[in-house]
Amino acid sequence: MKLKTKLTLFNAISKLVIVTLFVLLLPSIIENINRNYTDSRLIKQKDKLLQIVKDRGIKTYIEDGQSYGSYLPLKEEYISLDEVEADYYADTIQNERRSVERDTIGYRILSHTFRADNKNYLLEIGKSTETIDDTTGPLQNIAFLILLGMILLTIIADQVYSNYILAPLSRIIRTKLVGTKFPSFTSYSEVKTSTSDFQHLDLSIHKMIETIEHAFQKEREFISNASHELMTPISILQSKIENMFEQEDIADEMKVRMLEMQKILNRLKSITKTLLLISQIENEQFLKEDEISLTDMLQDLYEEISIRLQDKNIGYALALSQDVVLINVNKFLLFNLMFNLVNNAIKYNKPDGSIIVTGERVKNYYTININDTGIGIDADELPYIFNRFKKIKQSLKQDSFGLGLPIVKSIAAFHNIELQVRSEKNVGSTFTLIIPSKLVKQ
Amino acid sequence: MNVLIIEDEKALAYEVELFLSKNNYICEVCFNGTSASEKIAVNLYDFILIDLGLPDYEGLDLLKEAKKSRPEAACIILTARAEVNDRIKGLDLGADDYLAKPFSLLELQSRMQAITRRKFGLVNQTVDLDGFLVNLTDRTITHLSNTVSTITKKEFDLIAYLILHKNRTLTRAQLSEHIWGSVVNDDYDSNFIDAHIKNIRKKLSVFAATEWLETVRGLGYRIKTNV
Repeated sequence: MKLKTKLTLFNAISKLVIVTLFVLLLPSIIENINRNYTDSRLIKQKDKLLQIVKDRGIKTYIEDGQSYGSYLPLKEEYISLDEVEADYYADTIQNERRSVERDTIGYRILSHTFRADNKNYLLEIGKSTETIDDTTGPLQNIAFLILLGMILLTIIADQVYSNYILAPLSRIIRTKLVGTKFPSFTSYSEVKTSTSDFQHLDLSIHKMIETIEHAFQKEREFISNASHELMTPISILQSKIENMFEQEDIADEMKVRMLEMQKILNRLKSITKTLLLISQIENEQFLKEDEISLTDMLQDLYEEISIRLQDKNIGYALALSQDVVLINVNKFLLFNLMFNLVNNAIKYNKPDGSIIVTGERVKNYYTININDTGIGIDADELPYIFNRFKKIKQSLKQDSFGLGLPIVKSIAAFHNIELQVRSEKNVGSTFTLIIPSKLVKQ
Repeated sequence: MNVLIIEDEKALAYEVELFLSKNNYICEVCFNGTSASEKIAVNLYDFILIDLGLPDYEGLDLLKEAKKSRPEAACIILTARAEVNDRIKGLDLGADDYLAKPFSLLELQSRMQAITRRKFGLVNQTVDLDGFLVNLTDRTITHLSNTVSTITKKEFDLIAYLILHKNRTLTRAQLSEHIWGSVVNDDYDSNFIDAHIKNIRKKLSVFAATEWLETVRGLGYRIKTNV
């Protein structure tokens, strides 16, 4: 899961939990606030009444021992003043039910006893709980709406900010890690960010890639230099041997031994040339400007290999669905690619076996299959067949030094041609070239 | 024919000189660019062999000088650099041929002969091999006005190379380097020369005997001719 998605998810869930918690607590909170408010109002009314009694005397309300009572028409509030026994004492605020003119109504009642004119009086001020609840509902709703609005606002703000702050990270991932043809990494382009962590990450990735690229470059340079340096001594040896053949005073017996030397020298030359070729391809020293007909190229190839087919009595069939002209390719390299694939198909074939080369257009691509009836490749060795100098078990018997498929791989990669292999032991192998539409003349 | 060999690797220069001298070329050797530059300015040459990797001189500059002051001389570039661009640059600057090290002396000689043929306009170079007329220009073989049409391109290359070096034994390695030289593969010893020779003999013996195409036991093949 992406970091951004995770953050968003956490954000939303945490806010949701807060909202739920608040919604659950809200009624009791509001009720509490309401009760406190009601109580303080009742106390204020009580204080005011006591003040009046103090200023003007109890007679303002009670004369001749008659009790005083008053309520509003809807009975939501009432007040009563009564003479009680001298030792009665009350100073509470409670919820109680009272009957007022046949209606029994729940009230929050303040009860308070006080003395006036040597008599003990009980004051009751009530407010119906129903009216208290009336305000609770709307209050709850308003509180809930405000909360919801605030939460939404913070979610949006969080989202916008995390998007903004994480943008450099996704830019780093997009431009430096995904879709980068490793290790050919173009020059460093700084990802602009004020977050030091990302700056550090960006720089570290860049440094690492640079180091790796440097190592690759060094390896390529080494192979290129080493093979160049080897060319001159090989050249001298080859010339010396050739001149010795010309000498008339050398016995035939000696010449046969020189022939052996020449063969071995050729092997050295072949390896060096192949390594140099691979390094030249990897250093992109070849042009891709040729235009060739596939049919012509495969015809030339057939002429080159017919003697090898004949040697092992191998059947060769070529079936192209149509003639295809390839553009933006290097003719020399492509020929070598095909040569090595077909040459392998011969080398690892059984006597009297067969090779089928087919070509067809699949969607935008053109595919070439080279199918042989050879010894096949073990499944566990399949991943290593393109490694340099890697000789798999079956090929040990063959006179080769393990650079045929590395050449094929380098040339294919140089042209962006995809290479696939399928193989079954003792049945045969199929190498498939998937040529991108860019290289196929429409 | 006068040849100037410009090669800083003394051992190689010596071998080239030895080989060409034996084949009736008159050779001079230079080990550095400065003296080569002087020699080019003073002397006349038919061939100038230039090594591009000289320590004191840019080989391509030497080629420019040679082409300017001695336009009639044929220049062949010899190089171990083998860089693709060098080849194109060299040929653009007027080099007549280009040989990458390590090269076979026989290959060098055959390239020089090809240039000579081109320069002197030998339109129809035909060699008579006991009744087989091999036309090196048209690449045809005829016997008593019958054309041998079954000979393939590779087979003709082989015959032509043997004719070029007639009366000399060519080893299988030398022959295969000539006809397979442009293919890079990973065979130790991809030698199908015997099979090719067998095919050639089979195809030609329909017309007449091919005793001129000799197998030199243990060594290789040779075309024997007095012409």
